[in-house]
Amino acid sequence: MNQDINIKTLQKNCFRQSKVPGVFLLQMRVPGGYVSAEMLEIVKHISETWGDGNFHFGTRQTFDVCGIKYQDVPAVNEYLEKYIKSVEEDVCGVDMDLIAGEKVGWNPKAGYPTIGARNITACIGNYHCVCGNVNTFELARKIEGIIFPSHYHIKINISGCPNDCNKAHLCDFGIIGVAEMEYHPDRCIGCGLCARTCEKGSTRVLTLNEETGKIEKDTCCCVGCGECARVCPASAWTRKEEKYYRVIIGGRTGRQTPRTGKMFLNWASEDVVLSVLKNWQNFSAWVMNYKPEYLHGGHLIDRAGYKKFKEIMLEGVKLNPECLVAEDIYWHETEYRSNFNVKPLSLHHTAGPQDKK
Amino acid sequence: MSYRLTQNEADAVFAELLKKFDIYAPHRHVCAGRYSDDDIVKYDKVESLSDVEYKKKSDYPMKEVISPIQQALFYFTEDEYRESKVSSRPILIFARPCDINAQKIQARIYAGNGGFTDSYYERMKDRVKYILMDCEGGDDNCFCVSMHTNKTDNYSLAVKFHEDGSLFVKVKDQDFDNYFQEIKEIEFEPEFVNKNELKVTVPVIKDHETLNKLKAHPMWNEFNSRCISCGACTIACSTCTCFTTKDIIYGDNPEVGERRRIESSCQVDGYTTVAGGISYRKTAGEKMRFKMLHKFHDYKERFVDSDMCVGCGRCTARCPQFISITTTLDKMSKAIEEIEKGEV
Amino acid sequence: MENIVQPKPYKISEVRHETDLEYTFRFDTDIKVNHGQFLMLSIPKIGEVPISVSDQGDGWLEFTIRKVGKVTNVIFEKVAGDVMFLRGPYGNGWPMDKFQGKHLIVIAGGTGVSPVRSTLNFCARNEGFVKDVSLICGFKGCNCILFKSDLEKWQNNFKHTWLCLDNEDKEGFCRGFVTNYIKELPLNEYEDNYEIIVVGPPVMMKYVGLELIKNGFSEEKIWMSFERKMSCGVGKCGHCRIDEYYVCTDGPVFPYKIAKNLVD
Repeated sequence: MNQDINIKTLQKNCFRQSKVPGVFLLQMRVPGGYVSAEMLEIVKHISETWGDGNFHFGTRQTFDVCGIKYQDVPAVNEYLEKYIKSVEEDVCGVDMDLIAGEKVGWNPKAGYPTIGARNITACIGNYHCVCGNVNTFELARKIEGIIFPSHYHIKINISGCPNDCNKAHLCDFGIIGVAEMEYHPDRCIGCGLCARTCEKGSTRVLTLNEETGKIEKDTCCCVGCGECARVCPASAWTRKEEKYYRVIIGGRTGRQTPRTGKMFLNWASEDVVLSVLKNWQNFSAWVMNYKPEYLHGGHLIDRAGYKKFKEIMLEGVKLNPECLVAEDIYWHETEYRSNFNVKPLSLHHTAGPQDKK
Repeated sequence: MSYRLTQNEADAVFAELLKKFDIYAPHRHVCAGRYSDDDIVKYDKVESLSDVEYKKKSDYPMKEVISPIQQALFYFTEDEYRESKVSSRPILIFARPCDINAQKIQARIYAGNGGFTDSYYERMKDRVKYILMDCEGGDDNCFCVSMHTNKTDNYSLAVKFHEDGSLFVKVKDQDFDNYFQEIKEIEFEPEFVNKNELKVTVPVIKDHETLNKLKAHPMWNEFNSRCISCGACTIACSTCTCFTTKDIIYGDNPEVGERRRIESSCQVDGYTTVAGGISYRKTAGEKMRFKMLHKFHDYKERFVDSDMCVGCGRCTARCPQFISITTTLDKMSKAIEEIEKGEV
Repeated sequence: MENIVQPKPYKISEVRHETDLEYTFRFDTDIKVNHGQFLMLSIPKIGEVPISVSDQGDGWLEFTIRKVGKVTNVIFEKVAGDVMFLRGPYGNGWPMDKFQGKHLIVIAGGTGVSPVRSTLNFCARNEGFVKDVSLICGFKGCNCILFKSDLEKWQNNFKHTWLCLDNEDKEGFCRGFVTNYIKELPLNEYEDNYEIIVVGPPVMMKYVGLELIKNGFSEEKIWMSFERKMSCGVGKCGHCRIDEYYVCTDGPVFPYKIAKNLVD
């Protein structure tokens, strides 16, 4: 097959190169991993008309349709219009004409405008799960328009509770729903079930004081899972109505330096999480000297250094009083090759505007 | 006499009542449920009619007003145990027939059982008058009709709430007549539920031999893996009365402090543990058997005129493991049939 | 209205160490008690526990208390002259009118000797109240022997006495469980004119009951005392209930024909 194909252009259009020349895989965004089941009809039509008749759940909760031929891409993009409009514009309120906040103008017949900001994944959260503390996909939908469309890479995973089934610890910007708990000693029968549950499945912060028959709590180490409220037979533990979040940054997999993310914010309100994320485009632009390149968010933090990251990300953010911010972060990476970071100065990456030099 | 009150009139009467009474009612606590974003409805002291959750059955029973989960009995020093004081203000409680009837059952234990009457129960009970709340049949866990607890005449006022904020009130207790002067009279009688979706038949255990065979029946083993013995069913129960006594020490001196009564549950570990460590029902199945037989046999055997259940269904609703008391009762009936046929 | 759970202060007049773990406290009090009844004793840091009267006399009551766990230790620091709080007596006690003039058989094990000690001492002090006493009394081992001076007195005063230790040998004691000696009770000698007291741990009482029936004793003549957790002692807290019975107000003494059917 003799075809001249710009695979970079197709990649930005959310078509991924396959082993077979001229055959691509379409990635359809599903913010928060949650859409109306009627969307499956669209997936079905694309797959059966232009694809191989199947679909794969992308590892970032996208609908991935394999086997799309290069010449069919325009037809697929045209058909995608109703899916993108429904999911991105109607459900998430995304302004498709903006790219990283800049007015660019979107051609609705031309498919996805960017691939940089990856699909936001989420567990089912408190919409269904007995452990969930927050509505994860509603948060994803609020974030979608802040990070997408954009050529700047960011992977966001949302978990409804500190059990972190959705691996907020393994992405650039992980968000975990945490519950601030209230104890009502007048309703406590001193059965100690919360303390046993906390010991068995959480951070062992509760103890039954045998002399008072009441629970004592090491508030500092509470992860906000809410298991105490889930097991209490008398509602002596309840969640506060306000929702709080833990933000984990810099987690990643990869060939070079995979690592678990570290805590950036704890007990942040939703407003704080959203306004921090609004600074992401600025931060990315600053690190890469205003020229987007294919580089994941965690690496941007490495290049800028945590303190610069913190400075830019918190710009103009009004922290809620409960919110705690990491003063510093001590990364722990898997170094497949020892002294990976020690190399000639000329090979070091730069960060920030370079025009002064 | 019955009246129709506009929202303003109702608020005005409520404000007048508040001058004399402490008023308790089911109250909605937003997002305070077992699971995130679920609400909980429990009895609280209320300050206005809008505080009253009149649609949803409360998750926790009305008994909490009269015999709270925790109360101080005495304050003690090295020399004396001084009885705790309680306000003498009269109390009005918004309640449905199941909760009002449950007090008859509680009273048989607190007042009179074994020849003793508990003064802490009496001093609360004596202050209480009821405002009967309209009940339109409850939810799918209710079975008050089967337990004959769907009706009551133990109330001073009966109310029916309307969406527009207006209220129908029947004044049964003459002491309340003067609150309703100048308000338009209407015909209104409270209606009682006469049918639930759920019907149960309490089985008859005809003799001690059958009882002991039922205790040994394998039906209870199911609960060893299903029930987590958390006690949520008994805390939610309208009729359960069990408590423990706990002395709380102030500071370092072990002989100065407070003696508290704290609600307890036959489902929770330690309920039967005596000094020396012997305990009597160790498995979840045994504990469930003890509870079920108390509710539907032992209580009636002692007090004759009713079972220890008003069919409010809160135990089923609160069980985190979806153990239904009515299904369990049906299983008990089936086991008794097997026993009587000589199959087990 | 009278507060039925109001504790009152009483002075300790004597503390005796029965074993390392069990102390007997004598209180100055005019409280009148039937043999086999119990009182609620306030223990600092704990709350209240039911304690059976282990002996009584004019103006005094004795209780024998076992040290369990760290928290009860406060009570073991009490000395003569200190004050503790009591309320009661509660429960029915032994049916002494039924025992009068008959052969009395007492089978007791371990701490179960406490609730029957006042009855035994009463019989020892009042010769002729019962025809005679046959006592089978067992303890786990040498360290657990309670009421040593009483045991000696009972051995001298009572017609038949078997003192046993479960697994240890000691002079004056037989070896083995109390159930082993039931067959040695001289049933014929009692001429159907007897009553039996059984008190001890639940398992012991169960097997003693079965062994007595096996050996021809009549179930109508057997009486058992139950020990259950109690928070109130007055039929309210629910902990001691078995079937339709409340051990606190309907017991702690039950006739065997009820006791044998009580399944916790």
